[in-house]
Amino acid sequence: MLHTLNVTFLSDFVPLFLQQLQSPTLGFLVGGIVVAALGSQLAIPDSIYKFISFFLLMKIGLTGGIAIRNSNPSEIFLPALAAVLIGIAIVFIARYTLGQLPGIKVTDALATGGLFGAVSGSTLAAVLPQLDSAKIPYEAWTAALYPFMDIPALVTAIVVASVYLSKKTGNASENVEIWPIIKESVQSSAVTSLLLGVALGILTKPEPVYESFFNPLFRGFLAILMIIMGMEAAQRMNELRKVAQWFAIYAFISPIVHGFLAFGLGLIIHKLTGFSIGGAVVLAVIAASSSDISGPPTLRAGIPSANPSAYIGASTAIGTPVAIAICIPLFIGIAEVLLGR
Amino acid sequence: MSQQIWKLVIVAEEILSKKLIKLIKAAGATGYTVNAAGGEGSRNVRSTGEPSVSHTLANVKIEVLTGTRELADTITREIEAKYYADFSIITYIYQVEALRDHKF
Repeated sequence: MLHTLNVTFLSDFVPLFLQQLQSPTLGFLVGGIVVAALGSQLAIPDSIYKFISFFLLMKIGLTGGIAIRNSNPSEIFLPALAAVLIGIAIVFIARYTLGQLPGIKVTDALATGGLFGAVSGSTLAAVLPQLDSAKIPYEAWTAALYPFMDIPALVTAIVVASVYLSKKTGNASENVEIWPIIKESVQSSAVTSLLLGVALGILTKPEPVYESFFNPLFRGFLAILMIIMGMEAAQRMNELRKVAQWFAIYAFISPIVHGFLAFGLGLIIHKLTGFSIGGAVVLAVIAASSSDISGPPTLRAGIPSANPSAYIGASTAIGTPVAIAICIPLFIGIAEVLLGR
Repeated sequence: MSQQIWKLVIVAEEILSKKLIKLIKAAGATGYTVNAAGGEGSRNVRSTGEPSVSHTLANVKIEVLTGTRELADTITREIEAKYYADFSIITYIYQVEALRDHKF
């Protein structure tokens, strides 16, 4: 019985998964990886990257804000709580898996866990249009879950690393101040763009600019961002080669594990409150993603003794491509099977 | 008339630039110049190569002109104590001639 169920699940799931792999998002990502790996001179200026990240997060924020204006704010409570718990859990998972491996410094493992618990704006931007294309409904405010996972993960990583270091050196007097870390996370360009969009969506009526500017350009800018992420991944591969290969293995497996953890919690909330399955996919992809914009500088300043080549290499070279190329099609495919398509 | 002054050069990770500037001003320097920098050192290749998703791996070169060697040494000592252990950072100093001597 279970065997037949598995076979039906797989026979439903595999074609849906393969179909997702042909999405433009993934195509542009792979294109970026290939041109950079071939040593192309193609360069997309940093300022364009920054503008596109701002644009995409602003649009996602506006969508979320407009949705919150038209919905019951109490609905967001359980998913937000789940996001906070997952963000914290990911750091401890890294501490007690990656951090226990031979030759891995605990601070490097904590910084890596912090970055993988934090959220990637580009991955978030990639999953939403793919849910739209697959016609899977989700609450538009789910994008607003971003800071609820991002900030607790960064704070936990930095606090646990400081506690670990002060125990190791026997210097217990150094207290970690949590507030500056939260402040720095909220002030980061990614979270600011998103929260500004949410605020404008709730407090103003941005529909005219939203319909004529932000919405039509979204997919095109996303495609360019995917090329940039691909090129960045190929370049960071060199740095990742300099650190222990455990980081590469962790970076490959952990997005999938974190995604399933969050998807499971999302499904429980679905049973309890009617949170949509599409919303559970967004939660899963947010958990699978690893920060590329705001996380690295916060961690570099917060855990200076951790090796940035390890955590940035793991996140940008492997974590983000795995989240976009494997986790998004995977969870959309599972959602379609669960929705009985 | 020109005057002999000191030029302290600090090449460091960009994420330190605000903190370094604060330190430099607190030590009493009257000004500084910041440039983007790239290159290779003992820790890693660190370039300003684009595209760069996070500025964590970018570098800056900060130049400070000081009228006395003592001021330059004070700044260097403070930087050494705070950042040498964990960050990619290098400092060097040379004597230069200032053409507007009244400024220093």
